[in-house]
Amino acid sequence: MTRISESQFTRSLIEHTANNKARVDKYSEEVATGIKAALPSDSTDAGVISRYKQQLDRIDGYMTTISRVKSFVQFQDDALSQMDELILRAKEIASQGANESLTSSARAFLAEEVFQIREQVIGLGNSSYQGRFVYGGADDDDPPFDAAEYYEPTTGPAAVKYEFDAELGTSQTRPVHITDDVTVTLNTPGDEVFGTTIEALERLGRALSGYATTPASGSPDGGGAAYTFPTDYTQQTADIKHTIDLLNRARDEDILPERTMLGGKMRRLETAEALLSLSKTSAQEVLSKIQNADETESVANLTQAQTALQASYSVTAKALRLTIMDYI
Amino acid sequence: MPNYSSKILGNSVSALVAQQALIANTSNNIANVNTPGYTRREIALLNRVDAASVQSSFTFGSGVEVGTVRRITSSFLETAVRDAASRQGMANIANDYLGRIESLFSLTGPQPTIGSTLNDFFSAVNTVAVNPSSIDDRIVMLQRGEELVNAIKTTYNTIAETQTELDNQVPQELQQINDYTRQIASLNDMIQKRKGSNIPAPDEEDQRDALLTKLAEKITFSAAEMENGMMNVSLANGFPLVSGTTARELGFTYTPSFGGATLPPSLEGRTLGYVVYNFGSETSPSHLDLTKTIKGGMGSLGGILQLRGYADVTNTTAFQADGDLVAIATRIEALTRSLLTDVNERYLGPDEDTTAAGLQSSSGDLLGNSPEVFGLFDFDYSGVKDADGDGVPSTADLLSSGMSHFSSYLRFAVTDPQRFAASRDTDTTEGSVAFPAGDGQNAVAVAALKQEVRTLTNGGFSLTGTFDELYSSTVNFVGSTKSRAETDVAVAKASQVSAQSKRDQLSAVSLDEEFANLIKYQKAFQASARIIKTASDMLDQLVALI
Repeated sequence: MTRISESQFTRSLIEHTANNKARVDKYSEEVATGIKAALPSDSTDAGVISRYKQQLDRIDGYMTTISRVKSFVQFQDDALSQMDELILRAKEIASQGANESLTSSARAFLAEEVFQIREQVIGLGNSSYQGRFVYGGADDDDPPFDAAEYYEPTTGPAAVKYEFDAELGTSQTRPVHITDDVTVTLNTPGDEVFGTTIEALERLGRALSGYATTPASGSPDGGGAAYTFPTDYTQQTADIKHTIDLLNRARDEDILPERTMLGGKMRRLETAEALLSLSKTSAQEVLSKIQNADETESVANLTQAQTALQASYSVTAKALRLTIMDYI
Repeated sequence: MPNYSSKILGNSVSALVAQQALIANTSNNIANVNTPGYTRREIALLNRVDAASVQSSFTFGSGVEVGTVRRITSSFLETAVRDAASRQGMANIANDYLGRIESLFSLTGPQPTIGSTLNDFFSAVNTVAVNPSSIDDRIVMLQRGEELVNAIKTTYNTIAETQTELDNQVPQELQQINDYTRQIASLNDMIQKRKGSNIPAPDEEDQRDALLTKLAEKITFSAAEMENGMMNVSLANGFPLVSGTTARELGFTYTPSFGGATLPPSLEGRTLGYVVYNFGSETSPSHLDLTKTIKGGMGSLGGILQLRGYADVTNTTAFQADGDLVAIATRIEALTRSLLTDVNERYLGPDEDTTAAGLQSSSGDLLGNSPEVFGLFDFDYSGVKDADGDGVPSTADLLSSGMSHFSSYLRFAVTDPQRFAASRDTDTTEGSVAFPAGDGQNAVAVAALKQEVRTLTNGGFSLTGTFDELYSSTVNFVGSTKSRAETDVAVAKASQVSAQSKRDQLSAVSLDEEFANLIKYQKAFQASARIIKTASDMLDQLVALI
């Protein structure tokens, strides 16, 4: 016959009740937080959980980068979308001005609008995003296009010449990581985008206002004297016509490819974003599988543990009430 | 014809005395029903031999005699209880202390961990590359850098402080152990004396068993009872803690006689003590190292020493010691060292001027300056940090500083957002540099480090992988170590319950049994009294005849 002593009897009652209480505690925490692995020892997959957590953190980091890059690219696209119209209008003026029925003074009137267009284009080339000059390359703390002067005339818009501020870093492009192994270039140097347009507008404006530009091709060097009419009238017409070619070239070789490239960047950013959110979802899914508690299972376990605890209480209370003294 | 009346009376009186003795013993058992470690007692009854009736053909016996008090105990079960206590003592230490460490590697937050800050920092560096001249982004990056450094420092310091705390606990444990062994030795003396005079000493034996169980909670030992009733206690290597009436005191020293001039540093840069027995004198000690023996066993002291780690006196660094704390700290230190060497080297960029001696940094900040050798992650040290002067931050540079570790001294070197060198030299002429404000090449290069596979080493530890992988493997290690400790606690608890229960089954008081006995003894007492009454009636009748 097994001998059951007093201390053994109470200890085992207390032990069972305590075990059941611990189980209730464990499962209520699971149900309350929805997490079954809060600390490394809660799961044998602690290392895996940590890896997925870090992957998620990294994805969030890239997502932030992508949203910044996207708004930067969008800004550039918005700026360039205005260029089409401006170039078209400049070409209209040039065609109009090239018409030899116009007198040189009538041509001078047209020059004013051309210079206004030039100002707008310069405004776009010197546009800043969050206080930094978008087309300044790595040297983005001062405007990429600076005003200089022609020898002739000395006043008026025709006297002003805009040149690309070719300092250190202005021709530099800035690549940035948008995923672990994909980079996009943030910017295109300003002269590659606006250089030809500005040159064309400047030549057109000066020609219309009655000034030649030297050299006749390539970047203007600030020289060029006033036309002598009527001798230079044909030269003036030729110079005006030449700018139409330049404007066409600017649109076809600079603006359109740049816009296409921006569109491409945008698509790459969106693809990267979609891929990241895809891997984010799948990482979250895996993480949730190994780290989160299965609600149904936890609740079922909790109910079971509660029932067991209830039973232990009732057994303990009943058993402890029994005493031989009641019978002697 | 024998005198039956006196025999009847004599037998009954002996019975009355015996029943009273039994009831007295029962009362003592019931009184101690809740006394921990109390061993129930039984009184042995002997039927008295009737010397006078040996020659006679009628032998009635001479009543009952009260024998010795016997403790109902089993040395096998007591040993099982002590083993379970040892196991539990050790498991609790590991579980409690690792629990504290584990929260530093939380999988849910909200407090930042090394893992989360590591990612935040490198992401912030990548963001600086998007808009390198943005001061706002640079400030965020600076904060993330500070957070990473803080997370590393907090984690390392907590581990190192835990090691020191465990080390500081050893003398307290030893004091208790010495108290227990001294008491066991003096109980040995008392028991021996009583047994020598044939007097049982159940209370002293109970006390000694209770002390042995308490001692077992602290340390693993083997106990053997001698013929004379004395208990000898010895460690696993045979070192006698208690032999007869002598207890040998264990000491704790930071200057062991067997060590060299410099002892290996602890994680905090102090030294770890040794548990010793001093054979020599106070002034010229001659120490016997018992640390390894005790560490090899269980009990809370075994647990403390195992977790704290044992440093051989010939060790030169804190990371050569064994133990789980050291293993975790080793991994953190490997990360710190990589931040100090690999990340700083990347931050400096390639050599800008190959004609000049040493590495000339090709990276620059918004003010046009190039960073120092330890330009991004620095450590507090007053001496020359780039010992070999080659401009490259290397492990050799770190080690020549003579510092025991770097994690506690780590510092984020950039404090002014403008001074973060995000750009690389754009001037192709050697020896001449130019740093455009909007260039983020250096930031991109530093950010790329996060995903690069490198060999991260410290002491005997080496891992070829990314920073993420190092951190995850550390989390895995912490998790598996802690869950092993949890399992140990559960197993120890279960074995303790079962051993105690088996011991109680035999040795503890059962009220049912005692009450039943009480009634039995009472009835016997009544019956004996009745016999005296009967004898008295018989005598009365005889007297009436006269």
